[in-house]
Amino acid sequence: MAIAKAERLMNLALCLMNTRRPLSKRELRSSVEAYREITSEDAFNRMFERDKDDLRELGLVIETVDALDGETGYVARRDRNRLPEIALDAEEAAALSLAAKVWQQARLAGAASGALQKLRAAGVPFEESGYESAEGHSVIEPRIPAHEPAFEPLMLAARDRRPVSFDYRKSNAVRPEPRHVEPWALECWRGHWYLAGWDRERAARRVFRLSRITGRIRSRGGEFTAEVPDHVDVRQTVASWAGEGATATARIRLRRGAGYPLRAKAVETMPAPGDRAAEWDELEIPYGHGLDDWLVEFGPDVVVLAPGELRDDVVDRLRAVARG
Amino acid sequence: MSNAIDQTRRMLSLVTYLRERPGAHVSDVARAFGVTEAELIGDLNVLPMCGTSFRGGDLLDIDTDGERIWWHNVDDVAQPLRLAADEATALLVAARAVATLPGLRDSDRQALLRACAKLEAAAGEAAGASARLSVTFESEGSVFADVDRAIAERRRLWIRYYSPARDELTEREVDPIRLFAVGHTYFEAWCRSSEDRRMFRLDRVAEIKLLDAPADPPRIEPRDLSAGLVQPAGDDPEVVVEVGPGGRWVAEYYPHDSAEELPDGGLRITLRTPDPGSLRRLALRLGRDGRIVSPQALADSARAAAEQALAAYGEE
Repeated sequence: MAIAKAERLMNLALCLMNTRRPLSKRELRSSVEAYREITSEDAFNRMFERDKDDLRELGLVIETVDALDGETGYVARRDRNRLPEIALDAEEAAALSLAAKVWQQARLAGAASGALQKLRAAGVPFEESGYESAEGHSVIEPRIPAHEPAFEPLMLAARDRRPVSFDYRKSNAVRPEPRHVEPWALECWRGHWYLAGWDRERAARRVFRLSRITGRIRSRGGEFTAEVPDHVDVRQTVASWAGEGATATARIRLRRGAGYPLRAKAVETMPAPGDRAAEWDELEIPYGHGLDDWLVEFGPDVVVLAPGELRDDVVDRLRAVARG
Repeated sequence: MSNAIDQTRRMLSLVTYLRERPGAHVSDVARAFGVTEAELIGDLNVLPMCGTSFRGGDLLDIDTDGERIWWHNVDDVAQPLRLAADEATALLVAARAVATLPGLRDSDRQALLRACAKLEAAAGEAAGASARLSVTFESEGSVFADVDRAIAERRRLWIRYYSPARDELTEREVDPIRLFAVGHTYFEAWCRSSEDRRMFRLDRVAEIKLLDAPADPPRIEPRDLSAGLVQPAGDDPEVVVEVGPGGRWVAEYYPHDSAEELPDGGLRITLRTPDPGSLRRLALRLGRDGRIVSPQALADSARAAAEQALAAYGEE
């Protein structure tokens, strides 16, 4: 039976961490049983490269040293791999164990519990009992979803600064279009993930919604060509799509008792003039992107008074529904 | 079952941890590492096959009788290991996100921020990649604080709550059970008027009062949040919506049974809801970007609402 991968990785890690001098590939092959079982040189080389990458993903710093006899040597020096002293009090440790539970994405959930295990092994005092039940703490359970298949490959590409390409369907496009992007940062807002980056064809900064990416994320060779800004604010762009940060206002008539969220956003509310006062109010509300979509939802309980373009948009939409 | 990467990561920390704790109990160690006892025993079966050099005969002599764990040739084979970039990112991004939640108790926020600073220092360059991910939770700070307090003190709440499906505010007394954030912040409670568990979104709470009466919710199985907040029942009525390319967002926002591609770039979406009338808003919003295929009554009510609305603009 083939030796399990975890056992092989563990043996390689222990060898690399406990040697005083760099070990050659040949020496490592003879020290790790799983490698000795492989007869093909090529297969061994491929496996060894993958294993080194896996250990590096786990945080191990593996140095490659050119040894005198022309062979490359490998070593994971203790001083470079040690977790520096970290003194967390019980409150801080409790805060981190709450944070470690928030990921609903397999890779980051695994990484978060791996981090806690390392800290615990280093002596950080984590309580075993539920933090949630402890007196004096907020009882909140935060969760970060990341169900979009594009999330993990984009996270890794942004981390390693690798350009990518993918097919993207804009919100009202009939077909997806290929995009070449240098991924800068990912941000989750209102439960959805967005990518900010440099769009190579458009030679401009763009924000993409991950759920609109169709198909695979493909890695492109080469480096980033555009400078990565120090601070990437995805949220501001997305909030403006959502119609927030509006500077203009609109006037509407709203049936009394209806449209609470419109009332909550209103800058001014008063009873409608004349005979309508008994049943209707007039409101002044912020007018940003998407307001027409939203007002139509209220059907006969909202009448747009101004501006004319918003009124026309809403009437247009209502006509489409009335036609069926 | 855990994958090989997670298992390797765990075993590396395990050898450091066990070194300090001769005769440790399997149950304690499993809890500390967040795994089942069976998973831990799996690790303990692998560790005796590991060592610094297979030929040197210095394999780890770790064994267990199923209750306690003994390491007979205790050795300094592993030290507390530095954090990997993904590990630092996973903790830092989550901790920063939670720290920004409006309504969080100040002592918790301060503890999170202090922990972040210490973690950044300990992670060194591995912390750098955490700047490439960020998460914002939305919450209504004052409502959050009241719900938080009600749960901690086991007290009943009175709320005026907005239901978008009916476009109305209703008043109810509820016994809060849990408070959670998934993009927006919600709380789950036993609603005394409907005698059922209900989910309330904090930004839809128009008014809230903490009552003196103790909360007395029946014991209910906690919901698995990873399965999504809306879990339609199989016997809920079916609604079929056809949307053009401009209405594809419906599939992103509404949990659905199926979404078939249409030749024009649109979708035919089948979903279930206990109350199809609540989708009238969706039908109105879609306008020329989509239409309700069935049930007919829902399509008719959207059309009637649109006609009535047009009348106010002087159109029939």
